[in-house]
Amino acid sequence: MPSSEELVIALPKGRILKEVMPLIRAAGIEPEAAFDDPASRLLQFRTNHPNISIIRVRSFDVATFVAFGAAQLGVAGNDVLLEFDYPEIYAPVDLDIGHCHIAIAQPKELEEDRDPSRWSHIRIATKYPNLTHKFFAEAGIQAECIKLSGAMELAPGLGLCRRIVDLVSTGATLEANGLVEVEKILDITSRLVVNRAALKTRSVELNGWIEKFREVVNAT
Amino acid sequence: MNDYSEKGLLPAGLADMLPPAAVREARINRTLMDVFAGNGYLQVKPPLIEFEEHLLEGSGAALASKMFRVMDPVSHRMMGIRTDITLQIARVATTRMKQDPRPLRLSYAGQVLRVYGSQLRPERQFAQAGVELIGPSETSADAELILLAAEALGALEVENFSIDLTLPTLVPTLCGELGVDEETAASAREALDHKDAAALDDYDATLSQILTALLKAAGPANSALEALEKIDLPEAAAGQVAALKKVVAQLQQAAPDLKLTIDPGEYRGFEYQTGLSFTVFGRGVRGELGRGGRYRLMDGESASGFTLFLDSLMRAVPRRPADDRLYLPFGTGLDQGYALRQDGWKTVAGLAPEDNIEAEARRLNCGQFLGPDGITKLS
Repeated sequence: MPSSEELVIALPKGRILKEVMPLIRAAGIEPEAAFDDPASRLLQFRTNHPNISIIRVRSFDVATFVAFGAAQLGVAGNDVLLEFDYPEIYAPVDLDIGHCHIAIAQPKELEEDRDPSRWSHIRIATKYPNLTHKFFAEAGIQAECIKLSGAMELAPGLGLCRRIVDLVSTGATLEANGLVEVEKILDITSRLVVNRAALKTRSVELNGWIEKFREVVNAT
Repeated sequence: MNDYSEKGLLPAGLADMLPPAAVREARINRTLMDVFAGNGYLQVKPPLIEFEEHLLEGSGAALASKMFRVMDPVSHRMMGIRTDITLQIARVATTRMKQDPRPLRLSYAGQVLRVYGSQLRPERQFAQAGVELIGPSETSADAELILLAAEALGALEVENFSIDLTLPTLVPTLCGELGVDEETAASAREALDHKDAAALDDYDATLSQILTALLKAAGPANSALEALEKIDLPEAAAGQVAALKKVVAQLQQAAPDLKLTIDPGEYRGFEYQTGLSFTVFGRGVRGELGRGGRYRLMDGESASGFTLFLDSLMRAVPRRPADDRLYLPFGTGLDQGYALRQDGWKTVAGLAPEDNIEAEARRLNCGQFLGPDGITKLS
C-alpha cells in the first residue's frame, strides 16, 4: 500500500497487547526493537513501514485518539466503543481476541437480592458509567454510577456501594473479593477500529489494511 | 491578573473570534457566496429566531433537543433559535417563494446555535453556508450540487477533499422488500452505520449476507459500484443503486479528477433524506467539511441541497498569512493613502508624529511602512 502520508496505529496497553501483536505482525507490521523493551520510555514507535507508527495508550484512550483522527487505526474492545459511542469510529473487523464480558456483580451476602428486575434505584461503581446507565435505564432502573478507574472489586467491601459493573474474564478476581456475578450485560471482543474521515479520504490505503486484517483473522 | 480577566470567560462552546481568524472566516464566506451566486443561486436571509414549530418540522426534529427556546413576550408563543438553516430555506420555498419558477436555486449563509455541541464539534455556535435546489427530481440535479460543492472547495483552494456518496434509503428499502420487521431493520441500519462487523452477523442469513457485502463495498466509487452490482438486491433497492451509478457516471464525465467514494451504509444524520446524499471530507481534517442530500419539502415537493461548515473549512483552507499592512506616518496625504489602498494595501494611519516610524510600524503589526524612500519592507 504505497503512501507517504503518516499512518498512526493506536494499541491498548496491557493484557490485550499480547494478543494483538501476533495479528499486527501477521499483517506485516513490525515495530522497532524498543517496543518490546520494558525499560523504554518511548510512547510512539516506528515500524518497518516508513510512514506507519504505533502508539501505546490506555484502552479507553485508543477510542479517543482514533475518534479525533490523531490515530487512523486502532484496536479497542466494544466495551470502550459503546461507552463513548463516538460517531467518528468504525469497527469493521472483529479481531476475535480479548474475549471477556461485562457483568453486574455483588457481594455473596446479598444473596436474597439477586433479581435485577426487582430493583428500582441502585448505586454502582464502574469504569463504564454511560454504558451502565443506559443498560439500567432500558430496564427501568435508576442507576447512580460512581466512576472508578480500577479496582472496582474493592468498592462493595468498603461500603462505597453494593454493586459493581466490570469486565469479567475468568471470574477469579470477583471470587477473591467475595463477589458473585448476577447478570451478564455484554460480551466483549477487540475490534479493529478506523477513523471515519481517514477511511473516506484515504479509502484505498485503509481499506487495504482492513482487508489484510480480515485475512489474518480468518486465517487463525 | 486584574478584575477584567474574568469578563473574558464565556459560556462553554462559545468563543470570540479574533483577527486573523475572523477575517479568514469572512473571506471564506465571501468566496462561497460568490461561487453560489455565479452558478445562479439567489441568496435569501431568514431570521435567526422564529416560532419553534417551524424549526421542528421534518429533519428539524432530529435537532429538537439541541434547540435554544425562548418565550416571545409579544405573541406568548415559543420561539426557537435556529440549529440549522436548511429548514428555514425549505419553509421559504414552500411559502413565500411558492409561486417562483422551478427549479428554484437558493443560497444562504449564517450562524446557527445549539444547546450542546458534539464530541467532535464542541462549538455551540458556528457558521454555515449552503444552497438548496428546489423542484427537480432528476439525477442531473444531484450531480449539479455535488459539482457545485467541488467548485466551491476548489475556489477556496482546499486540496485533497473527497466526496462520499451514500444512499440512506437503501437499507430501509431493502429491509422492507425482504419483509424484515421495523425494529430489526433499525438495528441493522445502525450496525451498518457503525460498520460493526460483529453485529452484522446477528441477523438471518440473507440479510446478514447482504449487509456484510454492503459493508465491504464501501470505498472508491468505481470499485464500490462494481461490488454493489454483484450483490443480489431486491428490485427497488437495485433501482437505487442504478440511479447512483447514473449520477457517478455524470460526475466522472464532468469532473474526471473529482475524488469520489461510495458508502452505501452511511446513515447517521441522514435520517430524513429521501435519496442520494453526500458528505464532504478533507484529507487530514477532523470531521466533515459539509454534507447534503435529497429530501422532501412539507408539501411533498422534491428538493436537494448541501451545507458547508465554516469552522471545518477554516481547518481545511490553506493559511496564507497576508503581509499587506502598510503603516502611513502621521501627515500622509489623504489622496496618497487612497491610491495605496487602490493598489491593494491595507493602510494603518499614524495618529500622531512618531520619531521612529519603523518601530511604530513594527509595534502595530505592519509588514512595511511608507518612508521617505517610498514603501519600505520591515526585515
